[in-house]
Amino acid sequence: MSNLALKELLYKIADDQLILGHRNSEWTGFGPLLEEDIAFSSMAQDKVGHSQAMYTILHQLGEQVPDTLAFMRPANQFHNCILVELPNGEYDFSLIRHFLFDTSEAIRFEMLSQSSYQPLAELSRKIRGELRYHTLHANTWIKQLGSATEESISRLQKSLNEALPYALGIFEESPFEKKIIEAGIFEGEKELQKRWVKKVEEIIQQTNLSLPDLKITIPVFGGRTGKHSEHLQPLVDEMSEVFRIDPGAEW
Amino acid sequence: MNSLDPRVNRLPEIGNPQNIQDKEQLDQFGTFEVFVQPKEGKPFQHEGALHAPNLEMAYILAKETFTRRFTCTSLYVVDTRNVYVSPITERDQNAYDLVENVSDQSKEKRSFEIYHLLKRGKQHVHVGSVKASTPQEAMSVAKNQLNAGKVFNIWSVASNDIRFTSDEEKELWLTLPEKKFRDAADYKGGEKLSSFLERRIKESNV
Repeated sequence: MSNLALKELLYKIADDQLILGHRNSEWTGFGPLLEEDIAFSSMAQDKVGHSQAMYTILHQLGEQVPDTLAFMRPANQFHNCILVELPNGEYDFSLIRHFLFDTSEAIRFEMLSQSSYQPLAELSRKIRGELRYHTLHANTWIKQLGSATEESISRLQKSLNEALPYALGIFEESPFEKKIIEAGIFEGEKELQKRWVKKVEEIIQQTNLSLPDLKITIPVFGGRTGKHSEHLQPLVDEMSEVFRIDPGAEW
Repeated sequence: MNSLDPRVNRLPEIGNPQNIQDKEQLDQFGTFEVFVQPKEGKPFQHEGALHAPNLEMAYILAKETFTRRFTCTSLYVVDTRNVYVSPITERDQNAYDLVENVSDQSKEKRSFEIYHLLKRGKQHVHVGSVKASTPQEAMSVAKNQLNAGKVFNIWSVASNDIRFTSDEEKELWLTLPEKKFRDAADYKGGEKLSSFLERRIKESNV
Protein backbone atom coordinates (compact mmCIF):
# COMPACT_ATOMS: atom_id res chain seq x y z
CA MET A 1 0.00 0.00 0.00
CA SER A 2 1.25 3.46 -0.81
CA ASN A 3 1.97 5.88 2.01
CA LEU A 4 -0.53 8.24 0.43
CA ALA A 5 -3.53 6.53 2.00
CA LEU A 6 -1.91 6.41 5.42
CA LYS A 7 -0.84 10.04 5.20
CA GLU A 8 -4.34 11.11 4.25
CA LEU A 9 -5.68 9.41 7.38
CA LEU A 10 -3.01 10.95 9.61
CA TYR A 11 -3.49 14.43 8.20
CA LYS A 12 -7.23 14.50 8.70
CA ILE A 13 -7.00 13.33 12.31
CA ALA A 14 -4.11 15.67 13.12
CA ASP A 15 -5.77 18.68 11.49
CA ASP A 16 -9.06 18.05 13.35
CA GLN A 17 -7.14 18.07 16.62
CA LEU A 18 -5.09 21.17 15.85
CA ILE A 19 -7.96 23.28 14.58
CA LEU A 20 -10.40 22.32 17.35
CA GLY A 21 -7.63 22.64 19.92
CA HIS A 22 -6.99 26.16 18.72
CA ARG A 23 -10.69 27.05 18.59
CA ASN A 24 -11.31 25.75 22.09
CA SER A 25 -8.27 27.61 23.39
CA GLU A 26 -10.01 30.84 22.34
CA TRP A 27 -12.15 30.34 25.46
CA THR A 28 -9.12 30.64 27.75
CA GLY A 29 -9.85 33.52 30.10
CA PHE A 30 -13.46 33.80 28.93
CA GLY A 31 -14.95 30.56 30.27
CA PRO A 32 -18.25 30.57 32.15
CA LEU A 33 -16.69 29.42 35.45
CA LEU A 34 -13.10 29.59 36.64
CA GLU A 35 -12.85 25.81 37.00
CA GLU A 36 -14.46 25.21 33.61
CA ASP A 37 -12.13 27.74 32.00
CA ILE A 38 -9.19 25.68 33.30
CA ALA A 39 -10.72 22.36 32.24
CA PHE A 40 -11.63 23.50 28.73
CA SER A 41 -8.20 25.09 28.24
CA SER A 42 -6.44 21.94 29.40
CA MET A 43 -8.41 19.82 26.96
CA ALA A 44 -7.59 22.27 24.17
CA GLN A 45 -3.93 21.86 25.08
CA ASP A 46 -4.34 18.06 24.97
CA LYS A 47 -5.76 18.31 21.46
CA VAL A 48 -2.89 20.42 20.19
CA GLY A 49 -0.58 17.85 21.80
CA HIS A 50 -2.35 15.03 19.94
CA SER A 51 -1.92 16.90 16.67
CA GLN A 52 1.77 17.37 17.40
CA ALA A 53 2.17 13.62 17.97
CA MET A 54 0.43 12.90 14.67
CA TYR A 55 2.50 15.49 12.75
CA THR A 56 5.60 13.85 14.22
CA ILE A 57 4.51 10.51 12.76
CA LEU A 58 3.91 12.27 9.43
CA HIS A 59 7.38 13.79 9.61
CA GLN A 60 8.82 10.31 10.08
CA LEU A 61 7.01 9.38 6.86
CA GLY A 62 8.84 12.14 5.01
CA GLU A 63 6.58 15.17 5.53
CA GLN A 64 7.83 18.53 6.84
CA VAL A 65 8.57 19.12 10.53
CA PRO A 66 5.50 19.50 12.83
CA ASP A 67 5.75 23.30 13.22
CA THR A 68 5.87 23.79 9.46
CA LEU A 69 2.88 21.50 8.99
CA ALA A 70 0.93 23.30 11.68
CA PHE A 71 1.75 26.91 10.81
CA MET A 72 2.86 27.23 7.20
CA ARG A 73 0.04 25.64 5.22
CA PRO A 74 -2.80 27.70 3.70
CA ALA A 75 -6.35 26.76 4.70
CA ASN A 76 -7.03 24.80 1.51
CA GLN A 77 -4.29 22.34 2.44
CA PHE A 78 -5.93 21.44 5.75
CA HIS A 79 -7.89 18.19 5.93
CA ASN A 80 -10.01 18.90 9.02
CA CYS A 81 -13.78 18.58 8.91
CA ILE A 82 -15.69 21.88 8.79
CA LEU A 83 -17.27 21.27 12.22
CA VAL A 84 -14.02 22.04 14.04
CA GLU A 85 -13.31 25.32 12.25
CA LEU A 86 -16.70 26.95 12.91
CA PRO A 87 -16.52 29.96 15.27
CA ASN A 88 -17.08 29.22 18.95
CA GLY A 89 -20.41 30.99 19.17
CA GLU A 90 -21.80 30.94 22.67
CA TYR A 91 -20.85 28.30 25.20
CA ASP A 92 -23.80 26.06 24.32
CA PHE A 93 -22.50 25.66 20.76
CA SER A 94 -18.93 25.02 21.93
CA LEU A 95 -20.18 22.38 24.38
CA ILE A 96 -22.32 20.62 21.77
CA ARG A 97 -19.40 20.58 19.32
CA HIS A 98 -17.12 19.28 22.08
CA PHE A 99 -19.63 16.50 22.79
CA LEU A 100 -20.27 15.53 19.14
CA PHE A 101 -16.63 15.71 18.07
CA ASP A 102 -14.97 14.20 21.12
CA THR A 103 -17.37 11.27 21.12
CA SER A 104 -16.19 10.46 17.59
CA GLU A 105 -12.57 11.12 18.48
CA ALA A 106 -12.61 8.78 21.47
CA ILE A 107 -14.19 5.98 19.40
CA ARG A 108 -11.78 6.63 16.51
CA PHE A 109 -8.74 6.23 18.74
CA GLU A 110 -10.26 3.21 20.47
CA MET A 111 -10.57 1.62 17.00
CA LEU A 112 -7.03 2.75 16.11
CA SER A 113 -5.60 1.08 19.22
CA GLN A 114 -6.06 -2.16 17.23
CA SER A 115 -4.42 -0.69 14.10
CA SER A 116 -1.89 -2.70 12.14
CA TYR A 117 0.11 0.53 11.88
CA GLN A 118 2.04 0.44 15.16
CA PRO A 119 2.82 4.16 15.69
CA LEU A 120 -0.93 4.89 15.57
CA ALA A 121 -1.83 1.96 17.80
CA GLU A 122 0.76 3.03 20.37
CA LEU A 123 -0.35 6.67 20.34
CA SER A 124 -3.98 5.61 20.77
CA ARG A 125 -3.17 3.54 23.82
CA LYS A 126 -1.10 6.34 25.27
CA ILE A 127 -3.75 9.06 25.06
CA ARG A 128 -6.76 6.94 26.05
CA GLY A 129 -6.88 8.50 29.54
CA GLU A 130 -7.02 12.02 28.13
CA LEU A 131 -9.82 11.04 25.78
CA ARG A 132 -11.69 9.37 28.64
CA TYR A 133 -11.61 12.68 30.49
CA HIS A 134 -12.70 14.66 27.43
CA THR A 135 -15.78 12.49 26.91
CA LEU A 136 -16.57 12.31 30.64
CA HIS A 137 -16.42 16.10 30.74
CA ALA A 138 -18.61 16.50 27.63
CA ASN A 139 -21.17 13.90 28.70
CA THR A 140 -21.48 15.37 32.20
CA TRP A 141 -22.11 18.88 30.87
CA ILE A 142 -24.63 17.70 28.26
CA LYS A 143 -26.51 15.64 30.84
CA GLN A 144 -26.42 18.55 33.30
CA LEU A 145 -27.56 21.35 30.98
CA GLY A 146 -29.67 19.08 28.78
CA SER A 147 -32.05 18.51 31.67
CA ALA A 148 -31.68 21.70 33.72
CA THR A 149 -33.74 24.78 32.82
CA GLU A 150 -35.95 25.73 29.90
CA GLU A 151 -33.25 28.13 28.69
CA SER A 152 -30.37 25.63 28.92
CA ILE A 153 -32.38 22.93 27.16
CA SER A 154 -33.56 25.18 24.32
CA ARG A 155 -30.08 26.64 23.82
CA LEU A 156 -28.47 23.20 23.62
CA GLN A 157 -31.22 21.93 21.34
CA LYS A 158 -30.73 24.84 18.93
CA SER A 159 -26.96 24.27 18.88
CA LEU A 160 -27.42 20.54 18.43
CA ASN A 161 -29.66 21.12 15.41
CA GLU A 162 -27.14 23.55 13.91
CA ALA A 163 -24.06 21.41 14.56
CA LEU A 164 -25.41 18.05 13.47
CA PRO A 165 -25.01 18.40 9.66
CA TYR A 166 -21.40 19.48 10.26
CA ALA A 167 -20.85 16.64 12.73
CA LEU A 168 -21.85 14.18 10.02
CA GLY A 169 -19.08 15.78 7.95
CA ILE A 170 -16.57 14.18 10.33
CA PHE A 171 -17.28 10.90 8.55
CA GLU A 172 -16.63 12.09 4.98
CA GLU A 173 -14.96 9.13 3.33
CA SER A 174 -11.56 9.29 1.70
CA PRO A 175 -10.71 7.88 -1.75
CA PHE A 176 -8.45 5.41 0.09
CA GLU A 177 -11.14 4.05 2.42
CA LYS A 178 -11.01 0.53 1.01
CA LYS A 179 -7.21 0.33 1.09
CA ILE A 180 -7.03 1.55 4.69
CA ILE A 181 -9.60 -1.01 5.81
CA GLU A 182 -7.99 -3.88 3.88
CA ALA A 183 -4.59 -3.06 5.34
CA GLY A 184 -6.05 -3.26 8.85
CA ILE A 185 -5.03 0.31 9.60
CA PHE A 186 -8.51 1.63 10.38
CA GLU A 187 -11.96 0.10 10.18
CA GLY A 188 -13.27 3.08 8.21
CA GLU A 189 -15.55 6.08 8.58
CA LYS A 190 -18.79 4.10 8.09
CA GLU A 191 -18.04 1.86 11.04
CA LEU A 192 -16.96 4.85 13.11
CA GLN A 193 -20.18 6.70 12.32
CA LYS A 194 -22.27 3.65 13.27
CA ARG A 195 -20.66 3.48 16.72
CA TRP A 196 -20.81 7.25 17.13
CA VAL A 197 -24.56 7.38 16.48
CA LYS A 198 -25.11 4.71 19.13
CA LYS A 199 -23.08 6.59 21.74
CA VAL A 200 -24.58 10.01 20.96
CA GLU A 201 -28.10 8.54 21.21
CA GLU A 202 -27.24 6.90 24.52
CA ILE A 203 -26.27 10.24 26.08
CA ILE A 204 -29.02 12.34 24.47
CA GLN A 205 -31.62 9.88 25.76
CA GLN A 206 -30.60 10.77 29.30
CA THR A 207 -31.56 14.41 28.73
CA ASN A 208 -34.58 16.43 27.60
CA LEU A 209 -32.90 16.98 24.23
CA SER A 210 -33.93 15.22 21.07
CA LEU A 211 -31.63 14.10 18.30
CA PRO A 212 -32.81 15.29 14.86
CA ASP A 213 -33.52 12.51 12.38
CA LEU A 214 -30.12 11.53 11.00
CA LYS A 215 -31.67 9.96 7.89
CA ILE A 216 -32.88 13.33 6.65
CA THR A 217 -29.92 15.38 7.91
CA ILE A 218 -27.67 16.31 5.00
CA PRO A 219 -23.97 16.10 5.95
CA VAL A 220 -21.72 19.07 5.23
CA PHE A 221 -18.73 17.59 3.42
CA GLY A 222 -15.70 19.21 1.81
CA GLY A 223 -13.29 19.72 4.71
CA ARG A 224 -11.41 16.49 4.08
CA THR A 225 -10.53 17.66 0.54
CA GLY A 226 -9.57 21.21 1.51
CA LYS A 227 -12.90 22.86 0.67
CA HIS A 228 -13.47 24.83 3.84
CA SER A 229 -15.81 27.49 5.14
CA GLU A 230 -14.71 31.14 5.19
CA HIS A 231 -13.80 30.69 8.88
CA LEU A 232 -10.67 28.56 8.52
CA GLN A 233 -8.21 30.95 6.85
CA PRO A 234 -8.64 33.70 9.50
CA LEU A 235 -8.12 31.04 12.19
CA VAL A 236 -4.94 29.79 10.52
CA ASP A 237 -3.67 33.38 10.11
CA GLU A 238 -4.24 34.16 13.76
CA MET A 239 -2.83 30.83 14.98
CA SER A 240 0.38 31.21 12.98
CA GLU A 241 0.88 34.96 13.28
CA VAL A 242 3.63 34.82 15.90
CA PHE A 243 5.34 31.81 14.31
CA ARG A 244 5.52 33.51 10.92
CA ILE A 245 7.20 36.61 12.35
CA ASP A 246 10.31 34.49 12.94
CA PRO A 247 9.94 30.87 11.79
CA GLY A 248 13.45 29.96 12.99
CA ALA A 249 12.97 31.22 16.55
CA GLU A 250 13.60 28.77 19.38
CA TRP A 251 10.95 28.65 22.09
CA MET B 1 -12.87 47.69 22.16
CA ASN B 2 -9.30 47.81 21.00
CA SER B 3 -7.03 45.15 22.44
CA LEU B 4 -3.84 43.40 21.34
CA ASP B 5 -5.81 40.19 21.91
CA PRO B 6 -7.98 39.64 18.83
CA ARG B 7 -10.37 37.53 20.91
CA VAL B 8 -11.20 40.54 23.04
CA ASN B 9 -11.94 42.64 19.97
CA ARG B 10 -14.36 39.97 18.77
CA LEU B 11 -16.42 39.95 21.97
CA PRO B 12 -19.96 41.18 21.54
CA GLU B 13 -20.87 44.47 23.20
CA ILE B 14 -22.29 43.59 26.58
CA GLY B 15 -24.69 46.47 27.13
CA ASN B 16 -24.18 49.57 29.19
CA PRO B 17 -22.02 48.88 32.27
CA GLN B 18 -24.23 51.26 34.26
CA ASN B 19 -27.21 49.03 33.65
CA ILE B 20 -25.60 45.88 35.01
CA GLN B 21 -27.55 44.66 37.99
CA ASP B 22 -25.85 43.10 40.98
CA LYS B 23 -26.58 39.44 41.49
CA GLU B 24 -28.61 38.47 44.49
CA GLN B 25 -26.49 37.65 47.48
CA LEU B 26 -25.46 34.01 47.71
CA ASP B 27 -26.71 33.39 44.18
CA GLN B 28 -23.90 30.95 43.50
CA PHE B 29 -23.15 27.23 43.47
CA GLY B 30 -22.44 25.35 46.66
CA THR B 31 -18.93 24.13 47.48
CA PHE B 32 -17.37 20.69 47.27
CA GLU B 33 -14.24 19.43 48.99
CA VAL B 34 -11.53 17.84 46.84
CA PHE B 35 -9.20 15.03 47.96
CA VAL B 36 -6.20 13.85 45.95
CA GLN B 37 -3.98 10.79 46.13
CA PRO B 38 -0.52 11.96 45.01
CA LYS B 39 0.96 8.48 44.58
CA GLU B 40 -0.25 4.86 44.56
CA GLY B 41 -0.38 3.62 48.15
CA LYS B 42 -0.25 7.11 49.69
CA PRO B 43 -3.26 8.39 51.67
CA PHE B 44 -5.71 10.84 50.12
CA GLN B 45 -5.23 14.42 51.24
CA HIS B 46 -7.51 17.44 51.16
CA GLU B 47 -6.46 19.77 48.32
CA GLY B 48 -9.10 22.49 48.45
CA ALA B 49 -12.66 23.32 47.53
CA LEU B 50 -14.53 24.41 44.43
CA HIS B 51 -17.96 25.62 43.40
CA ALA B 52 -20.17 23.30 41.37
CA PRO B 53 -23.87 22.63 40.74
CA ASN B 54 -23.66 18.97 41.80
CA LEU B 55 -21.34 16.14 42.79
CA GLU B 56 -20.59 14.81 39.29
CA MET B 57 -19.89 18.29 37.92
CA ALA B 58 -17.64 18.90 40.93
CA TYR B 59 -15.69 15.78 40.01
CA ILE B 60 -14.98 16.78 36.40
CA LEU B 61 -14.12 20.36 37.36
CA ALA B 62 -11.87 19.26 40.23
CA LYS B 63 -9.90 16.98 37.92
CA GLU B 64 -8.29 19.81 35.98
CA THR B 65 -8.40 22.45 38.71
CA PHE B 66 -6.51 20.35 41.24
CA THR B 67 -4.64 17.61 39.35
CA ARG B 68 -3.33 19.11 36.13
CA ARG B 69 0.24 19.66 37.33
CA PHE B 70 1.67 17.46 40.07
CA THR B 71 1.60 13.68 40.23
CA CYS B 72 -1.81 12.21 40.93
CA THR B 73 -3.19 8.68 40.87
CA SER B 74 -6.73 9.29 42.09
CA LEU B 75 -9.18 11.99 43.13
CA TYR B 76 -12.51 12.26 44.92
CA VAL B 77 -15.02 14.94 45.86
CA VAL B 78 -17.73 15.41 48.47
CA ASP B 79 -20.33 18.11 49.14
CA THR B 80 -18.97 20.40 51.87
CA ARG B 81 -22.25 20.00 53.76
CA ASN B 82 -21.49 16.28 54.12
CA VAL B 83 -18.21 16.84 55.93
CA TYR B 84 -18.73 16.55 59.69
CA VAL B 85 -16.10 18.63 61.52
CA SER B 86 -14.83 18.10 65.08
CA PRO B 87 -14.44 20.99 67.53
CA ILE B 88 -11.40 23.17 66.89
CA THR B 89 -8.62 22.77 69.47
CA GLU B 90 -6.55 25.36 71.31
CA ARG B 91 -2.78 25.02 71.69
CA ASP B 92 -1.67 21.39 72.13
CA GLN B 93 -5.03 19.94 72.97
CA ASN B 94 -5.97 16.72 71.18
CA ALA B 95 -9.21 17.23 69.25
CA TYR B 96 -10.31 13.71 70.21
CA ASP B 97 -10.47 14.86 73.85
CA LEU B 98 -13.35 17.10 72.77
CA VAL B 99 -15.18 14.31 70.91
CA GLU B 100 -18.08 12.94 72.94
CA ASN B 101 -18.63 9.22 73.21
CA VAL B 102 -21.67 8.42 71.12
CA SER B 103 -23.27 5.05 70.57
CA ASP B 104 -26.23 4.73 68.27
CA GLN B 105 -27.68 1.25 67.78
CA SER B 106 -30.90 2.48 66.19
CA LYS B 107 -29.72 2.55 62.59
CA GLU B 108 -27.73 0.27 60.33
CA LYS B 109 -23.96 0.80 60.37
CA ARG B 110 -22.30 2.22 57.25
CA SER B 111 -18.81 3.20 56.33
CA PHE B 112 -17.28 6.61 57.20
CA GLU B 113 -13.92 8.03 56.11
CA ILE B 114 -11.86 9.75 58.81
CA TYR B 115 -9.34 12.59 58.25
CA HIS B 116 -6.83 14.13 60.63
CA LEU B 117 -5.19 17.54 60.68
CA LEU B 118 -1.80 16.84 62.25
CA LYS B 119 -0.15 20.20 61.68
CA ARG B 120 -1.80 23.59 61.74
CA GLY B 121 -1.90 25.20 58.33
CA LYS B 122 -1.45 21.82 56.59
CA GLN B 123 -4.00 19.60 54.92
CA HIS B 124 -6.39 17.06 56.39
CA VAL B 125 -5.14 13.57 55.54
CA HIS B 126 -7.18 10.37 55.29
CA VAL B 127 -6.32 7.97 58.12
CA GLY B 128 -8.84 5.16 57.70
CA SER B 129 -12.50 4.22 57.72
CA VAL B 130 -14.85 3.11 60.48
CA LYS B 131 -18.36 1.66 60.71
CA ALA B 132 -21.01 3.79 62.39
CA SER B 133 -24.61 5.02 62.10
CA THR B 134 -23.94 8.74 62.13
CA PRO B 135 -20.91 10.99 61.48
CA GLN B 136 -20.86 11.82 65.20
CA GLU B 137 -20.70 8.17 66.11
CA ALA B 138 -18.01 7.63 63.46
CA MET B 139 -15.84 10.21 65.16
CA SER B 140 -16.43 8.56 68.50
CA VAL B 141 -15.43 5.15 67.05
CA ALA B 142 -12.34 6.75 65.50
CA LYS B 143 -11.43 8.12 68.92
CA ASN B 144 -10.82 4.51 70.00
CA GLN B 145 -9.49 3.09 66.73
CA LEU B 146 -7.54 5.86 65.00
CA ASN B 147 -6.61 8.28 67.78
CA ALA B 148 -3.07 9.44 67.04
CA GLY B 149 -2.44 11.41 70.25
CA LYS B 150 -2.21 14.93 68.93
CA VAL B 151 -4.80 15.76 66.30
CA PHE B 152 -5.85 19.35 65.82
CA ASN B 153 -9.00 18.67 63.84
CA ILE B 154 -10.98 15.65 62.65
CA TRP B 155 -13.35 15.22 59.73
CA SER B 156 -15.75 12.35 59.17
CA VAL B 157 -17.51 11.74 55.85
CA ALA B 158 -19.97 9.00 54.91
CA SER B 159 -18.30 6.93 52.15
CA ASN B 160 -21.61 6.86 50.25
CA ASP B 161 -21.55 10.64 49.90
CA ILE B 162 -18.21 10.58 48.07
CA ARG B 163 -17.78 10.59 44.28
CA PHE B 164 -14.78 8.24 44.01
CA THR B 165 -12.59 7.57 40.99
CA SER B 166 -13.39 4.11 39.59
CA ASP B 167 -10.58 1.67 38.75
CA GLU B 168 -11.21 2.29 35.03
CA GLU B 169 -10.97 6.05 35.51
CA LYS B 170 -7.49 5.84 37.00
CA GLU B 171 -6.17 6.11 33.45
CA LEU B 172 -7.26 9.79 33.49
CA TRP B 173 -3.79 10.67 34.80
CA LEU B 174 -1.74 8.38 32.51
CA THR B 175 0.04 11.16 30.65
CA LEU B 176 0.27 13.63 33.54
CA PRO B 177 3.98 13.01 34.33
CA GLU B 178 4.82 14.04 30.74
CA LYS B 179 3.05 17.39 30.92
CA LYS B 180 6.11 19.30 31.99
CA PHE B 181 5.08 22.19 29.76
CA ARG B 182 2.60 23.14 32.49
CA ASP B 183 5.49 23.98 34.83
CA ALA B 184 6.94 27.45 34.35
CA ALA B 185 10.40 26.02 35.20
CA ASP B 186 10.29 23.84 32.08
CA TYR B 187 10.58 26.93 29.87
CA LYS B 188 13.91 27.88 31.48
CA GLY B 189 12.91 31.53 31.08
CA GLY B 190 15.72 32.78 33.35
CA GLU B 191 18.44 31.00 31.37
CA LYS B 192 17.03 32.25 28.08
CA LEU B 193 16.89 35.79 29.36
CA SER B 194 20.51 35.76 30.60
CA SER B 195 21.84 34.31 27.34
CA PHE B 196 19.85 36.94 25.43
CA LEU B 197 21.33 39.71 27.59
CA GLU B 198 24.84 38.29 27.16
CA ARG B 199 24.38 38.24 23.41
CA ARG B 200 23.21 41.86 23.48
CA ILE B 201 26.21 42.96 25.51
CA LYS B 202 28.58 41.19 23.09
CA GLU B 203 26.84 42.75 20.10
CA SER B 204 27.04 46.25 21.59
CA ASN B 205 30.77 45.76 22.28
CA VAL B 206 31.46 44.94 18.63
